[in-house]
Amino acid sequence: MEEYPEEMRSPPVSLVSVVGCSELHTSISTYLHSLDPPINTLALPDLSKASLLLTPKPTITPTSDSAAPPPAGILKREWLLKHRTKVPSVVAALFSSDRVSGDPAQWLQLCSDLDNLKALLRGRNIKLVVVVVCSNPNDWILNCIAFELVQMKSPKIKWLLCGSVRMWMPSLLTFYQNPDGDGNGSQLKESLYRLGSVFVELASKYYRDEGRRIKARIERKSSNPPELNSRYSFKVAVYAEFRRDWVEALRFYEDAYHTLRELIAGTSNRIVEAVAWFRQHNASYRKLVGAPEAIFLHWEWMSRQFLVFAELLETSSAAIQSISPLPMGTADRPLTEWEFQPAHYYQLAAHYLKEKRSSLEFAVSMSEGEIDCSAESVVPSSYLGQFARLIEQGDAFVMQPLNDEGYMRYAISEGKRFQDSFEIIALLKKSCESYNNLKVRRMGSFCGFQMAREYYALGDFSNAKQSFDDIASLYRQEGWVTLLWEVLGYLRECSRKQSRVKDFIEYSFEMAALPISADASIQSFRFEESGPAGPATILQRETINKEVFGLVSGELRLASIENGNDLKVCDGNPLHLEIDLVSPLRLVLLASVAFHEQIIKPGSSTLVTLSLLSQLPLNFEIDQLEVQFNQSDCNFIIMNGQRPHVAAMIDGQPGRRIETAPSLALSTNKWLRLTYNIKSDKSGKLECISVIAKIGPHFTICCRAESPASMDDLPLWKFEDRVVTYPTKDPALAFSGQKATQVEEPDPEVDLNLGSSGPALIGESFIVPVTVTSKGHDVNSGELKINLVDVRGGGLFSPRDTELSMDSHHVELLGISGPDGEDESQLNTDEIKKIQHSFGLVSVPFLKSGDSWSCKLEIKWHRPKPVMLYVSLGYSPETNESNAQKVNVHKSLQIEGKNAIIISHRFMLPFRRYPLLLSRIRPVPDNDQSASMPSNETSVLVVSAKNCSDVPLQLLSLSLEVDGNDGMERSCSVQHGGKDLLDPALLVPGEEFKKDSGSEVQSGSKASVLTTHRLPDVNLELSPLVVSLECPPYAILGDPFTYFVRIQNQTELLQEAKISLADAQSFVLAGSHNDAIFILPKSEHIIRYKLVPLASGAQQLPRFTLTSVRYSTGFQPSVASSTIFVFPSKPHFKMVAVGDDRLESLVAE
Amino acid sequence: MIVCVAVVGHQNNPLYIQSFTDADDALKLHHIVHCSLDVVDERVNNPKKAGPTLNETFLGLLYPTENYKVYGYLTNTKVKFILVTTDLDVKDADVRNFFRRFHAAYVDAISNPFHEPGKKITSKTFAERVSTIVKSFGLSSTG
Repeated sequence: MEEYPEEMRSPPVSLVSVVGCSELHTSISTYLHSLDPPINTLALPDLSKASLLLTPKPTITPTSDSAAPPPAGILKREWLLKHRTKVPSVVAALFSSDRVSGDPAQWLQLCSDLDNLKALLRGRNIKLVVVVVCSNPNDWILNCIAFELVQMKSPKIKWLLCGSVRMWMPSLLTFYQNPDGDGNGSQLKESLYRLGSVFVELASKYYRDEGRRIKARIERKSSNPPELNSRYSFKVAVYAEFRRDWVEALRFYEDAYHTLRELIAGTSNRIVEAVAWFRQHNASYRKLVGAPEAIFLHWEWMSRQFLVFAELLETSSAAIQSISPLPMGTADRPLTEWEFQPAHYYQLAAHYLKEKRSSLEFAVSMSEGEIDCSAESVVPSSYLGQFARLIEQGDAFVMQPLNDEGYMRYAISEGKRFQDSFEIIALLKKSCESYNNLKVRRMGSFCGFQMAREYYALGDFSNAKQSFDDIASLYRQEGWVTLLWEVLGYLRECSRKQSRVKDFIEYSFEMAALPISADASIQSFRFEESGPAGPATILQRETINKEVFGLVSGELRLASIENGNDLKVCDGNPLHLEIDLVSPLRLVLLASVAFHEQIIKPGSSTLVTLSLLSQLPLNFEIDQLEVQFNQSDCNFIIMNGQRPHVAAMIDGQPGRRIETAPSLALSTNKWLRLTYNIKSDKSGKLECISVIAKIGPHFTICCRAESPASMDDLPLWKFEDRVVTYPTKDPALAFSGQKATQVEEPDPEVDLNLGSSGPALIGESFIVPVTVTSKGHDVNSGELKINLVDVRGGGLFSPRDTELSMDSHHVELLGISGPDGEDESQLNTDEIKKIQHSFGLVSVPFLKSGDSWSCKLEIKWHRPKPVMLYVSLGYSPETNESNAQKVNVHKSLQIEGKNAIIISHRFMLPFRRYPLLLSRIRPVPDNDQSASMPSNETSVLVVSAKNCSDVPLQLLSLSLEVDGNDGMERSCSVQHGGKDLLDPALLVPGEEFKKDSGSEVQSGSKASVLTTHRLPDVNLELSPLVVSLECPPYAILGDPFTYFVRIQNQTELLQEAKISLADAQSFVLAGSHNDAIFILPKSEHIIRYKLVPLASGAQQLPRFTLTSVRYSTGFQPSVASSTIFVFPSKPHFKMVAVGDDRLESLVAE
Repeated sequence: MIVCVAVVGHQNNPLYIQSFTDADDALKLHHIVHCSLDVVDERVNNPKKAGPTLNETFLGLLYPTENYKVYGYLTNTKVKFILVTTDLDVKDADVRNFFRRFHAAYVDAISNPFHEPGKKITSKTFAERVSTIVKSFGLSSTG
């Protein structure tokens, strides 16, 4: 950024010009510069000097801009600078007031100056401000000035000034120079402020107008040349920047650059053109090969053409990226993708250089024998093709032009001196890299292949091998067998020449196993063309196969070139090949291993099928196979029964299982299937790792075992039309067989018993006895795990989860007691490892076979909840603990936690006594839940406890407890008071035991389980009226009795009540039926009726109704309480000493 | 003259490749066919470049080498046909026509119930039919 000029780096600042009254310039320009945004000032001392500043303008003024022919560039060089430093937006003409008020000559001079200024500004939009500077505030003079100015002759000036005066009267009128005025300069400040605001307003108007003017040009001419459009957009953006309108500026800058980019993009067509021209150029000159013996010169020239063009194209590669989507078509022939890539031309340059080399070689061989010693004297030509020979003639040197023959000889001898290979490699490398960068892998590989061939020809085998390896992997992946064959042939030769026996054997094996089925009649590759690999035929594969087997068996030697001594596979130089799942050598040997069972019991045997497949063209025999498992005890060796002599060579490892197969011969594309028993004592996974085949004394192939169910297709061969067979005889096993099996745990021979004792009751300690009985196994280091799991959770949670879900401990594992009932605290601390709320861990002592051990789990429920109890015993049947396998026994039990007792309650009033409760008449919505009770009245609370369990329960006591805050009430504990009732009180399931409260209080005895029941809050209120009905407990037929209705007024108010008594069939009644009565405050009113019963039995008394006027509510006793039993005659009761009360109650009920 | 035709499968593996030259340059032609797959990939992956050829099976000229021209064709099942010719002025219509007939032959060949999709085409009938089509290439427009 630093190297750019100022106008490119910072946003533009408005520019105004101040003319005249130079003594004010400093203060004005300082003030303007301090504004935000600042304004730059261009100051001129005199009105007459104004022309100096603005003279250059008419020449630069772009009035003819629109009419100009298409411009040479986008923007004029000084345009930005001009508008920042030279062209003001506003010109302010300052003159002092005495110039207009005094001498007429001065006045005329002023007028002409203003006229000149106006002329200068003509054609531009620059705003003019006329400022009169006064030294003292004489308003009337200034008004006159204004008036006179308006009266001036020149109509334009008049208009201008008119406008100015009208619009900027304040600044015109009150710019005070303030030489000695009020001393604090406030008038000057005010004037500056006004002037400044006028400048800001006018400048912004000027820039806006300019912007609009140019915008209009863009819109008016849509067919502007793009250069002009770009220029206009740029200018509009700059004007917008003057106004600090960044949004618009950005928009137009973007437009400008967009147009510019289009302009540049247009040049990409030139690249298309260039490519087309170059192609034409080639087509024309390629045919002109010249003399046959000098044809190499032509190819060299062609190569150079391509190289130069490639380099040209590369330098403009930035443009190439953007043009690749362009239509690749010219009229005669479409252009293709790679023709825009330098890589294409580098490749062709290399191609022609190779042509040149072969032609040159031919030419050299033709000119063999001709010795040309005159080449030294040829000097380089100053012009193309004009070589000359420097000949010494006496003292002078003479340049003698070469004839064609001489030049030819010279060229051939020169050509011999250069190695074209390096240049070819360099070109191909460039092309290859460029293609690979474009992710064009196949073209890149082809270049790489040519490059590697050059390396190979040069004898640079390590470079060649590296390139060939990369290429081979691509061909392997895509299944281009013929191309792969060729590359492998080179690789094989490279490793032969580098004396790498292992590589050589690997490449040979791969080549021999390639799916090439062409016989010699079809093959059409020349030997030279197909490289060192030879023709891609079955015959060649067989030859390679034989060679490699000869080598690995030690019969043949690998003729080394580099260090001269032969290499062979022998005692001191054994060879081991690894074939994994991605190795290309899977074609050579593929091992599939399938267990016949997926789960086996320990110690019992199962079958395992081992299948081998090879695609080598010739049959071969394996001397010995070694199968390796993850449990090394299971490893075994399979011997070839037909080669007993090899068996002798095996160093007999003691304990190693050895099987003998009748034959271990492998033929092409045919599975060799071997099935053996296998047995494992260890539980866990048993997996076959690898199969090692031994061929000959010093050669082994380790083949990773594969499951037939998940085996990949053979690479390359999968595209071939070949017979596909299953690796196992049983096709189902071929689809599902795995190379691993699961060995189960041994069966436990220990019983685990959970003694269940019915449902658990809340609050009690529920005991679950656990018994461990050994029935064959010794129990070593046994461990009992106890888990309590919420049934709703569904599954068995881990202890941690269980803990979380039981956070509130609705069910708790309290403890584990030992076999003799001793508390857990007495057990050895080692034996109890852990007890949590829902999880426990106990160790079980050593048990011999037949022994048993038991413990008790203590579980407590706090809430009704079904719970799953899981108990698992882990032990090892063997004594040595280090490698003993754990055997696990699991038991589970679902236990329901239940409530034993349900307590219910009921509030009752005394018999035939009815207090009026106002809240029952007018129920308050909030209050309706809680029951209302009358205060100062005796009420009855009936509490009942019901046994809802399956077992009888002994009720020890019932007690009432009161919230402690009310001292008036007392808690009471109740024991059944009836001495003659059953003692102790047994609650039989389903029956209720009722007890009235209010009996005598006894000290509570020991309670084992406490069930609490919360009584509801009761609303107590004073009842204003209490009605009680009084009559004898029984009546006798025909015997009159008195029926009292007692109405109590408990208020301080007089209560009016209406009473009525309905007739009853069974009674003759004496007394008033209807009446209105008044009950005095705090007194009672008694109504008396005489009744004579007419029928015996339980009879309805006449219905009494009371209606309270004050509370507008009626009252009627219930049917049950207004029934009386009428004896037909007077009964005779035996009076007992116990007392009347019981007898009475019996009768009443 | 057509020097080589090829059918290339989904994994860019050759399903059928046959050269028709007397000269022994089959391997070179294999290289050319293999390299042309790059262009096919490029055109299939960036269809915007070849706007008008959207949904068209004929891919046009894939790339010019010094002596050959390579044309491509992509079936709906993404199997590629490649044609290598030595003719320098080839009419597009001829190539299209060739590919149409070749496609028909291919469809007949893989409709054989004994042919497994994705494997090499070994049918002799197909080979004969292809050589007929190759021989008649260009005759329709000239004669």
